Amino acid sequence: MKKAFIISLSLTIMAIAGCKKPDTTATIVTEQQVLTDFAGKLANPNYQDIQSKANDLNTAVVAFNSNATDANLATAQSAWRTTRAAWESCEGYLFGPVEDDNYDPSMDTWPLDKTQLDSLLASSNALTVSDIDALPESLKGFHAIEYVIFGVGGTKTAAQVTPRQKLYLASLTQSLYNTTTALRNSWDPAQGNFTAQVTTAGSGSVRFTTKKAAFVAITTAMSGICDEVANGKMEEPLNASGGPDSTLDESSFSHNSTTDFTNNIKGVLNAYTCQYNGTTGASLHNLIAQKNTSLDNRITSKINAAVAAFGTINVNYEIAIYTQRTQIIAVQQAINDLKDILDDELTPFIQQNITD
Amino acid sequence: MKYKGAIDTMLKLKTYRNRTLAIVVSFGVLFLLSMCRKPEPFPASGYDERLSGGQNTVFDATSHAFANAYPGLDAGESQLHDLGDSKFDATFVTAPAPVNSGLGPLYNNVSCSGCHHNDGNGVPTAGDAHSSLLMRISMPGIDSHGGPVPVPGYGLQIEDKATLGKLPEAKVDITYSYQTYSFPDGETYELRRPTYSLSSLYAPLPGGYMLSARVPLPVFGLGLLESIPESAILANSDPNDADGDGISGKPNYAWDPVSQTTMLGRFGWKASVPTIINQIAGAASADMGVTTRIQPVETSFGQPQYDGLNDENEMPDSILTALDFYIHTLAVPARRDVTEAQVVQGKKIFTQAKCIRCHVETMTTATDVAFPVISNQRIHPYTDLLLHNMGPDLADNRPDFEATGQEWRTPPLWGVGLYERVSYPAHFLNDGRARTLIEAIMWHGGEAFQAKDYVSHLGKADRDALIAFLKSL
Repeated sequence: MKKAFIISLSLTIMAIAGCKKPDTTATIVTEQQVLTDFAGKLANPNYQDIQSKANDLNTAVVAFNSNATDANLATAQSAWRTTRAAWESCEGYLFGPVEDDNYDPSMDTWPLDKTQLDSLLASSNALTVSDIDALPESLKGFHAIEYVIFGVGGTKTAAQVTPRQKLYLASLTQSLYNTTTALRNSWDPAQGNFTAQVTTAGSGSVRFTTKKAAFVAITTAMSGICDEVANGKMEEPLNASGGPDSTLDESSFSHNSTTDFTNNIKGVLNAYTCQYNGTTGASLHNLIAQKNTSLDNRITSKINAAVAAFGTINVNYEIAIYTQRTQIIAVQQAINDLKDILDDELTPFIQQNITD
Repeated sequence: MKYKGAIDTMLKLKTYRNRTLAIVVSFGVLFLLSMCRKPEPFPASGYDERLSGGQNTVFDATSHAFANAYPGLDAGESQLHDLGDSKFDATFVTAPAPVNSGLGPLYNNVSCSGCHHNDGNGVPTAGDAHSSLLMRISMPGIDSHGGPVPVPGYGLQIEDKATLGKLPEAKVDITYSYQTYSFPDGETYELRRPTYSLSSLYAPLPGGYMLSARVPLPVFGLGLLESIPESAILANSDPNDADGDGISGKPNYAWDPVSQTTMLGRFGWKASVPTIINQIAGAASADMGVTTRIQPVETSFGQPQYDGLNDENEMPDSILTALDFYIHTLAVPARRDVTEAQVVQGKKIFTQAKCIRCHVETMTTATDVAFPVISNQRIHPYTDLLLHNMGPDLADNRPDFEATGQEWRTPPLWGVGLYERVSYPAHFLNDGRARTLIEAIMWHGGEAFQAKDYVSHLGKADRDALIAFLKSL
């Protein structure tokens, strides 16, 4: 009697559970789809976008050099910011050629070697693109361009840009474009094809002998940028040994630092949700959601919380390190919370659940 | 186990008081005997062989596998490690500057990580922005501390870059000649033999100078290697091959500028550096032109490139200390696939071929009450930290303290299976000439000739197993 009751009760429970409406948000995806779309819908489009924006920047600089108006300088400055946004976004998942082939330091080395840069500008050394390519990293890339077009404190006017600075600038932006092209080509299936290393993970890829290895590369890269933003880029100017120091701030000439940081964390969001510029694909988010909804929800909230937290810093980061320290510390905490869940839950989850 | 078993038995006996006294006595004797057992280490089978760095092992096989801190650091230690980490990545710039001041005037690279990509071994090219190969130079003879003799106008290393307006010392040119060989089963491999020369000299070079090309070594696990007791290293030494097995094992003794004494050398390709902090200060000075309290003189001092700034020490002691702590506390990546049949077979071959005679599997670090995480750790570095004659093909013919021109220190093999993930494409040996592990093996000569010869006669399955074992490290 009791047994029959238990059986009927369990059948009822099963029937009720079976009636539950399918969760419309949980797209069923395979591990393979997630890797394929990571390369096809995020990495490749993002690297293409960086290249295309770097081309716009180069065009804007050429236009400024032939007609040095404040309006043309503003266009160049704006092009610098949009190129920067696309680049900072891809820093949400730094692995593969961008690291292996040093594309990152080639275009985004900080600090700038201002002493050498000023003496280079004061000298009569040649400043063609090949001369720029031969320079140390601390004399080229985003921050050298930033220094010339924004100036210290972001106060540069068109009239202050000297003929020699124009020459330097033209080669710098061309060199940056060349580097972004090489980076883009390294993933292009028709060229360097790092794409195949990701999409054939566990089935022929030399770099990722298992799918698990490719997923772990993605999640540890996501966590790596959280660490760099919260505990490096934000922390160093905030708590320098002699107190807050805005000269330790990475994009201080353009006052673009907070935007840089935000775009880094948005890059983490892109990596998790496989989206770039409105296109989306099968994502880690989908994969985790179908196996552990709670974990997915908590990760998503933490990414959103970290991105939203930046909204509380409403003055330039160079000023905020003196006047909005509480808000900055809260942002750092939000990013470190995100890093913790990536390190302590997401990566172990992948290591346990992705077995091939 | 015996101890516990004896107690259990005695407890059971208590409930059967009417058993004979003889049984009680005999178990009592057994119990006492088990108490008398002398303390001894656990058998090897009691350890997890994946833990190459003991408790300072991390399970990370990504491109960041060499970049993790010891798991057991406390909050303060983690903070110091992170500061060192950021300075290891920091780009040094020309003085005066608010941050990271002091690059040059002569240098090879602008940051530590510029050569030690992802804390690994970089790329074996010279002269490019991301090159990692550097060229040591010296005259015949020994200096007052028993070390190499600087070349007038050049010192002990070719700095192939200079800050604006200064002349780099020279350009290092590398050319390779290629030759194909085959195994008995017909599989081929190609060895590339480098030739090094200098061009664009800023000043004449005296005749008779000697060159030695070096690529960076990975920087993880060094704190553990520094903690191996000197006696344990010397226990493996056999400088005159007294046991007649054709393998020597000779300690190098090199100058320590901190203690101003000669010490056992442990680091670098010729074991000519006794301590980690010397390695850091030496690299800061020679590779980046950044002076420290240990190397307070610019490498360009006395040369026309000297900046005359008198801004020493360019690297504050706090940063040097943080870098030292960072390197001391970089964890060792765990081995992978240790139970796979091919890997197990490969390890047997590694032993049979006597590779393991120099690439010693297991060491134990000293007891260190001041820094418990590093104390008394059973580690698997696969090195004896000793010098061996590697034959004429690998010779640089440039002595370095007690190391002759044909002797090299056995490099640690832990992490060798991850080189291609950390810094792609992988390369091996002192100047990065080997592009694959099999090439690296086939370059071995001198004392390692027998081991190389053994491998060259293996069948393909065994050869693949050996490589699978190395890739599991």
